[in-house]
Parts: sequence; structure tokens; C-alpha cells
Amino acid sequence: MANETLTNINSYLSFNLGEEEFATHVSKVLNILERTEITEVPRSPDYMKGVINLRGTVLPVIDTRIKFGMTPTEYTTNTCIVVMEVEMEGDTVHVGALVDSVQAVLELEDSQIQPPPSIGSKYKSEFIYGMAKNNEKFIMLLNMEKVFSSDEIVSIKEKTNEGENEIDKTITKE
Amino acid sequence: MDKFKNKFIEEATDNIKDLEDSLLLIENDISNKDLIEKIFRSMHSLKGGGAMFGFSHLSDFTHNLENLYHLIREGKKTINRRILDVTLASIDHMKVLLTVDNVSDKSIKLRHGDLIQQVLDIIEGTNDIGIDSGNKENLNQQNSIKSYYIYFEPEQDVFKDGTNPLFLIDELHTIGTCKAFAHLNKVPEYHKYDVTNCYTYWEIIISTEEDVNSISDVFIFIEDQCKLEINEIADFDIFTSTIIIEQISALSQERNDVGVSNIQEIIKRNSIFDNNLEEIEKAIARSGPLPSVKENVISSIRVSSSKLDQLMNLVSELVTTQARLTLFAEKSGDSELLSISENIQKLSRQLRDNAFDIVLIPIETMLTRFQRLVRDLSKELNKNVIFVAEGADTELDKTIIESLTDPLLHILRNCIDHGIESPETRKKLNKPEQGTIILKAFYSGANVHIQIHDDGAGIDINKIKEKAVQKGLIQNDTILNKKEILDIVFLPGFSTVENVTGVSGRGVGMDVVKRKLAEIRGEVELDTEINVGTTLTIKLPLTLSIIDGLLVKIDNKRYVLPLSVVDKIFVTEHQNVVNKYNNLIILDGDQIPFYYLREEFDLPEGTQESEQVVVVAYEDRKVGLVVDEVEGEYQAVLKTLGKIYKKQEMISGATILGDGTVALVLDTNKIINKFSQVNLNIKNKEI
Repeated sequence: MANETLTNINSYLSFNLGEEEFATHVSKVLNILERTEITEVPRSPDYMKGVINLRGTVLPVIDTRIKFGMTPTEYTTNTCIVVMEVEMEGDTVHVGALVDSVQAVLELEDSQIQPPPSIGSKYKSEFIYGMAKNNEKFIMLLNMEKVFSSDEIVSIKEKTNEGENEIDKTITKE
Repeated sequence: MDKFKNKFIEEATDNIKDLEDSLLLIENDISNKDLIEKIFRSMHSLKGGGAMFGFSHLSDFTHNLENLYHLIREGKKTINRRILDVTLASIDHMKVLLTVDNVSDKSIKLRHGDLIQQVLDIIEGTNDIGIDSGNKENLNQQNSIKSYYIYFEPEQDVFKDGTNPLFLIDELHTIGTCKAFAHLNKVPEYHKYDVTNCYTYWEIIISTEEDVNSISDVFIFIEDQCKLEINEIADFDIFTSTIIIEQISALSQERNDVGVSNIQEIIKRNSIFDNNLEEIEKAIARSGPLPSVKENVISSIRVSSSKLDQLMNLVSELVTTQARLTLFAEKSGDSELLSISENIQKLSRQLRDNAFDIVLIPIETMLTRFQRLVRDLSKELNKNVIFVAEGADTELDKTIIESLTDPLLHILRNCIDHGIESPETRKKLNKPEQGTIILKAFYSGANVHIQIHDDGAGIDINKIKEKAVQKGLIQNDTILNKKEILDIVFLPGFSTVENVTGVSGRGVGMDVVKRKLAEIRGEVELDTEINVGTTLTIKLPLTLSIIDGLLVKIDNKRYVLPLSVVDKIFVTEHQNVVNKYNNLIILDGDQIPFYYLREEFDLPEGTQESEQVVVVAYEDRKVGLVVDEVEGEYQAVLKTLGKIYKKQEMISGATILGDGTVALVLDTNKIINKFSQVNLNIKNKEI
């Protein structure tokens, strides 16, 4: 019941990654945390920043910038962790997403949302399900399920594995 | 045996509860066939179980009831209120029967007989007795038993009419419980004795539901020829009190006439103690189960597993919070706070141990399934296999048991399908025709080992190697020892048996078993000898949620190593561990391979002068793990890293430290395994 109400409303949380503004539906957002100390997990993909203690549970944190092909997050006072609830292989999991800053909660009608540009985007466009214009600026609406989907992790992980192999090879050469 | 008995009592209690529920439901829906079936089934299992575990009274009792419900099920009787009342009363009685070994207690005995009689009455009544008349009859039966004293002295010439007074006394026996005292003191001396005369007279005590009139009716034909006195002496059945009867008998032997007044006095004397007591017992027995029943039933309770999970979570959080408190108290240095925190530490440790104990269940719970599998499968495959379990009382965390069942079933299937040979082959090999599969469970430190041994064909190592080469899993010239070859069996896509049977070998093989076991931090090892058999050993952690750990620091980040694998800790110089080609270090005169964790974790090289080497047990070897600093012991509440990190094998979980930061728990076996493989690859490439 509560969920229905949540999905029916048209509120979106907007945040910045670099200069660009993104937004995600509020029904996916559980919490916004200030950046705390992140415990890195050795030998994991770059975008998987590590884990934090969220009131007694261990929450994995993802560097959204790396995930979107940007440079790694540089920490400022505005850096936040947005705790989101996403579906992964049929299970609901909680994930923290590192963002440069959280902006506002926007009300967007469906009519305001346009389809994403098919080409020419420097971001992985499969993560974006729409664009909306706000104050003469385009906001990219993110599909969080896609962003954290397991396929995506596997594809990136494969890349990392290749990287590892390269390292192995270099060691061999020595 | 006691264990089984307790198990039965638990089950029976459930059964009785089901029975009760169904009965209460059926009251509103008399013709519901499903409910009748259910009642019948519950009774049947109670009867069967009762007989098996030595509760013969319960079994007999239930048998009776079952007969009644059999008639109902067949439609020969319909349920009415009387039947329900009697059944419910019987259920209460069953609860009592569960708690006593034999029916020696008088009140229970009384009630036992009473209820059996009532059930028999219902069964015998060919037609349904209406609700009202049934109840009335019931009422009469219970209340109308009275005891009478009869003085009967026939006239001397009573024989002349062909009357035999003994027949009259026999007739008395048919209307109630009866005891007759014959008095011979009027028999004359021999020379005056006339054989055609009757000199004997009787004093008779009778307890019956009939009234005075029906007693005197017995004597109706010789009313004029005898002296007859009938007195009511008690308004209950005096034969229930052996004391009274004994005293009356004794009195009758002492003197010629007992006399009604004497008997009444005896009854009065005894009834104050005995009969009143008996009445009370009777009342208690009728009014419901004895209080002792309740105490016994509650000795074990069933709790939903979600509640237990919640309890475990709370305990885990308490342990974490307590670590914070300890840290804070130590920092503040306040002695009072320190003593409080110490106390809480002690309490939470006890609570933790207690809570863990609750979620541990014996592996016995899965054995029935295994037994069944072995029986069915060996029949299907025409093999003669016996399954033996040892250490069935070994306890494991319930989540472990749950995830253990499927892998074990698979292993057993393998044993029967591929391991044990057919009886003919076994005969040829001079083995007993019956194959044996032994499941042995035992504790070993903080682990539980489960061994599955079969005395079958064993596995041909050369065959494994051949196949592995064929499948491209290993190079033809790779030299492997026996253990390494056997480990190939656990690789994905490996199966030694060529023909796929319906039982096992459909591709999902030992790799699945290994993976499933790895999910619960279990490890599996194989040992085999041709024609002698195969032994599969599974090592499991006792519990999944809290481990005793060793807190170490690497690059200012803290990690936890499971204390159970830690052997020794050494200090060594920095240059001993970096830039070493062979990764070997000499400690205590032994050469020990080591891994510099900073390097393996892709962290920058440390600058400190001394390093600490934690020597851990890895399979049957010792391996050193080099860390920056060892901080001390730590109770780590294990939390999973979540789905996102499921590919991260080296880390078995994370734990929250006293200061709120997260420390990762390292899985030493996986780490060493992974690193040694990497090194092996490098070496192979070099060659």
C-alpha cells in the first residue's frame, strides 16, 4: 500500500556527478548519508568502493562516477552516500551510491520526461530511461535497477579480470 | 531410548493437539469427511507410536477410540454430542497417559477404565443414542452405584422346594459386584445333622446400580421361606476400597455375624480417609487433566524459526554494542563504568552462548531422509546397501543443516550409484554382499566433521587424470599428487561415469556439492582406494553467525582472521618478506611458505621495520600470512557482504568493530588457495 503510494507520486531526487545532474525516483531512495569511512574490499572492481556500517548492517558502496565512466569520486564536504533499494536477481538489496552532491527533490510530470538520446552520450546510456528539463538544464533520470544490475557488474568484472591477467603477464615478464 | 521416547511425546502432544482442534471443528460440521479422516489419522499415529515406544496403555486406549471412529468413517455411526464429549474427555486422558509410565495411580486407573467402558458402550449401541438420553444414561451410570448389606437366612427346609440358595447368590453377582460370607455356625453336630436341611446363612455385600427392589426381586420366590434383610450401607461402590473389604472379611472370620452396624462402622471409619479421598480423586480425574500434565508438556516448545533468527540478530547486535561499550569504558578509565561494562560483557557472552545453543539442532533430524533414500535407491538399483549413522547427536546450526541436506543426498546417491557394486560383483571380490555406507559426524575444534564412507569400488585416480586431460582441465604432462587429482573431481563439468543414469551423473556433480558447501563455509575432501572404498569428509563451522577471530592490521585497515585456523604468530624483519622469489620463510627451523598480504591485496609496500607472520593451518600444511600488526582477539559477528560482493571469495564476511568501523573477515583457505593457484599459473607459464 505504502509502496503503491510511493510509485504513484512523481518525485525525483536529483544529485550531481561532476557537472551533470541526475535524478532517481524517490521510491528507490531510503536514506542520504554523509560520507563516512569506507572499508575497502581488496581485489574487487574499482567501482565497488567498499562497505560501510549502516546502523549495524554492512552496506556495500558503489562509486557511481566510475560506474558511469567518469573519473573516481574526489571527496568534498558535499559528497554523500545515497542509500537505495534495488532488485537484484529477485532479491531486494540495499546499496549505497557515492554522489558528488545531493540537489533537491523535483516534481516531474510524465509529460515532462523525454526519451533518452540514442547516440552521442558520453554516459552508458542503458542506465538512463529519460531526460527532463528543469531550469533550462537537462536532468538524466536513472534506472537504478539497471545501474546495479548483476549483468552490468559481470561485464565490468570481466574487464577487471582481463586487467588482472595483464598484471600477471607483466609479473611473468619480470 | 529415552531420547526417542521424548521425541515421541513431543510428536504425540502435537498429534493430540491436532486431534483436539479437529474435534472442536467437527462439532460445528458433523458430516465433514475430511475432518473425520484427520481425526482417524491422528489417532492411528498415536496408537502406532504408542505401541512402538512402550506407551501400551495409550496405545490400547487409542485403539478403542480408533475403532469407534472407524465405524464413523464407514458411515455406520454418526457423530453426536455424546461421542464428542467422550472423545474430548479421552483426549484429556491421553495427555495424562503420556506423562505416566504405567497406570498405577488410582484416579487415573479409574478414569481409564471408565472412559474405555464409555467408548465400548457407544460402539456396542447399535443405534445412535440421542443426545439427551445418552447424557442421562451417562449421568445415571456415574452416580447410582450404591452398596447394600444383605442378611439372608433361608429356612431349614428350603431344599424341599428345589430351591438352591447358591443360585440366588449367583444371581446377585449378575446385578453388581458382590461378596458373600457364608456362616456355618448353625450347622448342628453330626448325629443331629440332616442332609436334606439347609443350615447355612449368608451375609452379602453388594455394590450395584440397581435399587433395593431389584435386589429383593432376586429372593422373590423364597420370600416366605427365609429371613431377609436388605440395608443400604453406602452411597458409593465400596469395592473400590480394598481396605474396607479386607476389614469386613477379617471381621467375618473372627466372629459369626458381622452385622450391618459393624460394616457401617468400618465404612464410616475408612471413608473419612480413603473414600472421601477417592471421591476427590475421582472428581479431579473427571474434571480434567492433572496439573502435573502441564508441567511436563512445556519441557520443550516449538518456536518459529523466524523468531529464532530475530533472536540471533538481536544477540549479534548486543555483542557489537557491548564491544563499543567496552572500548568507551576503557577510554574513559572510569572504574565504575569499567566494572559495569565488564559485567555486561560477561552477560552478553553467556546470552550469546545460550542463544547459539538454541539454534543448534542434531544432525539426526536429516537422517530419516537419508535412510529412506538409501533404502529406495538401493532397491531401484538392485543393490544391497545398509546405511549406518554414527554421532547422530552432533549438533549444528539449523541454517547449516538446512543447506547441508541436499549436498549430502547427492553424495549418498553417488555412493550407491557409483560406489557400491552389485551383489554379484561384491561376491566375486570376496566382499560381503551387503554394502555399507557409514555417515560419521564428530566435533573437531570449532568445526564439525561429517564423513561419508562407503566400502564400494573406490575411484580410479588414473581414470580421473585421463578424463581431466581429455576434457582439457589439465595438461597431459602435469604432475599431480593423489590429493590434487582427487580435487579435480570437484571441478565444474567433470563426471567419471560414462553412462548417465537417472540417479546421478547428469552433469551436476561434485562441483555443485562443493559450491553448496562453500556457501555455508564448508569444505570437502575426498579420499579413496580402489576396491576398498571412498571417504568423503566435510568440514563445517559450528555456527555461521559469530566466530572467534584474530584482529590484524594491514595498511591501517583492520581484518579478522578466524582464530580456529591460527597456529602461531611470529615477528620477522621487513626485508625477509619483500622481494623474495621463493616466498619461503624459516620459522622455528621449518620452511614455511608465506604470502605478504599487502602485496596480494594490491596495497603499497609497508614502511615498517618488523612484520608479523600469522601461521595458519591450510589443509595439512602450515602457511604464513604477513600482516602489519596483530591487535588481539575479537568476537566477530559475521555479516554478509551482500549479493554485490558474492564473487569476492577471499572475504567470508564483515564485522562491525567497537568503534563503528567495518572490518573484513578473511577466509584464509580461499586466500591461500587463490594465491597458490596464481603462483602455479605463473610458474607454468615460465616453463
